[in-house]
Amino acid sequence: MSIVDLQIRHDFGRFALDVKASSAGPVLGIFGPSGSGKSTILNAISGFVHPQHAHISIMTRTVCRTPGGTVVPPHRREVGYVTQDALLFPHLSVRGNLAFSPRCLGLDSLGGKRVLDVLRLAPLLERRVQELSGGEKQRVALGRALLSQPQLLLLDEPMSALDSRLAREVLALLMEVKRTLQVPMLLVSHQESEMAALADDCILLENGRIAAQGPPLQILARPGRLGGLDNILRLEVARHEPERGITWLVLPGQQQLAMPLSTAAAGQTVSVGVHADEIILCRQRPEGLSARNVVRCLVDGLGAAGTDSLVRLKLGELRLLAHVTHAAVEELGLQPEGEVFAIIKSNSVIRLAV
Amino acid sequence: MTPAELEIVWLTLRVGALSVALSLVPGVLLGWLLARWNSPLRALVQGVIMLPLVLPPVVTGYLLLKVFGVRGPVGSAYDVLFGGRIAFTTAACVIAASVVGFPLMVESIRLSILGVDRRLEQVSRTLGRGRLGTFARVTLPLALPGIVGGSVLSFARSLGEFGATIILAGDIEGETRTIPIAVYSALNAVDGEAAALRLVLVSVVISLLSLLAAFAFMRRQRTQVA
Repeated sequence: MSIVDLQIRHDFGRFALDVKASSAGPVLGIFGPSGSGKSTILNAISGFVHPQHAHISIMTRTVCRTPGGTVVPPHRREVGYVTQDALLFPHLSVRGNLAFSPRCLGLDSLGGKRVLDVLRLAPLLERRVQELSGGEKQRVALGRALLSQPQLLLLDEPMSALDSRLAREVLALLMEVKRTLQVPMLLVSHQESEMAALADDCILLENGRIAAQGPPLQILARPGRLGGLDNILRLEVARHEPERGITWLVLPGQQQLAMPLSTAAAGQTVSVGVHADEIILCRQRPEGLSARNVVRCLVDGLGAAGTDSLVRLKLGELRLLAHVTHAAVEELGLQPEGEVFAIIKSNSVIRLAV
Repeated sequence: MTPAELEIVWLTLRVGALSVALSLVPGVLLGWLLARWNSPLRALVQGVIMLPLVLPPVVTGYLLLKVFGVRGPVGSAYDVLFGGRIAFTTAACVIAASVVGFPLMVESIRLSILGVDRRLEQVSRTLGRGRLGTFARVTLPLALPGIVGGSVLSFARSLGEFGATIILAGDIEGETRTIPIAVYSALNAVDGEAAALRLVLVSVVISLLSLLAAFAFMRRQRTQVA
């Protein structure tokens, strides 16, 4: 069953939106640069924008058919809406926010307790929303949306206002929500890592049109797409070091890669991502470094990426892209087949769901 | 203060309170409309509401007399239906005070509703609250300080209302003789200055306290979004 069916045509004058898509989810990602029409699609689904020509169904129920058909008002569409600003009601407590919806599951009901559990909201209930940290606010916003029993949860850049540590925490929560509560979601994001970690199906939106649809790894790895999660690797788990919070992955050439402690069993193969921006290159093996990973590689090729350089590294069969400045390439004297050390913080190695 | 002067003060406070009570519901509705309604007509509506703020109060009073006077449309209809008149009664004082204080109230409410983040209203809609439920549970509580502040401000304005009142309500002891009108007649009377001074003092104190209260409420408007 499709979680959402979209047919939207709307002419804004300077920009026209024309999309037709359907997805079985359970998590559909919409990926694209700002101004590509992502927010308009969300507003059309939630009912705050009525496109000139539209046929929108949520879980096969038609909520908008224009011109001339039914247009269900936003409060009857049963969508949850979480944006980058938590948008908590400032005059209500955490409990008041969570219980705001007339469709709200009782906080003491079985389902309500599960939501509170997964999002660790119980200790926050009596707090004022002004006293919450950014991550806590986002947890409350997520809980408020989930407790209203949405047919579809709309996530509009839910992590982009948080610093990277909190963003990772919220991402982990969303993955947990997906796993345990099984709510269909529509995630709008411009972060490849979030998309690859959460979405099962992905739409690439460009200038108001759908450029591609498919599994995120396939869509995000399209040639010419750069600047995000450029390295997606499938590696075997070697061992865990719980006391140091590290999981070691097997790399070719008897090397290992450290990542934050994972639940995957030793011997299991996992997908991880590394941003090309977060790889530092070094000619000699550095000493006394806080970063866990110093990986010996060979330069496989050099390319230009706008004003910067892209260095392709090889370790056996593996390829890694590193994004550095032209100046760095010259100063390091990088040559194909030359030896180089890639420095990667363990926290920069992101576990992906797929 | 003499018992007569106390009665004047009491009448003035009553007129002010009644005028706020009369204006409050239309004031909130119009403030909301002006804050949230996108139409070319909005400027016109806003202009008409603001008019009493800039018109000479005597002109406002004259126009009101044309409407509420015995030969005016409302005044004559009232006579037919209930028998009696509106002009030159306490009701006329209340009407004059309401009309003159209304722009201050509406503007203050409009600004406070503008200060409510629309996205909070949208979140409320997606959570299942309709337009009215959202207004009652989100917009109204968040705009409340501005609504109370605007009410107190229009109350303060009504305390000083003279021009429109003297035309529409005249100077009838115990019925329409509010503080400003009493001060005016006292100053015209022989030996009235002492009485006028006492009323002036009371007027200054009540007005100042009302203004301070209005500002205190308006400052409490919560503009930040969590």
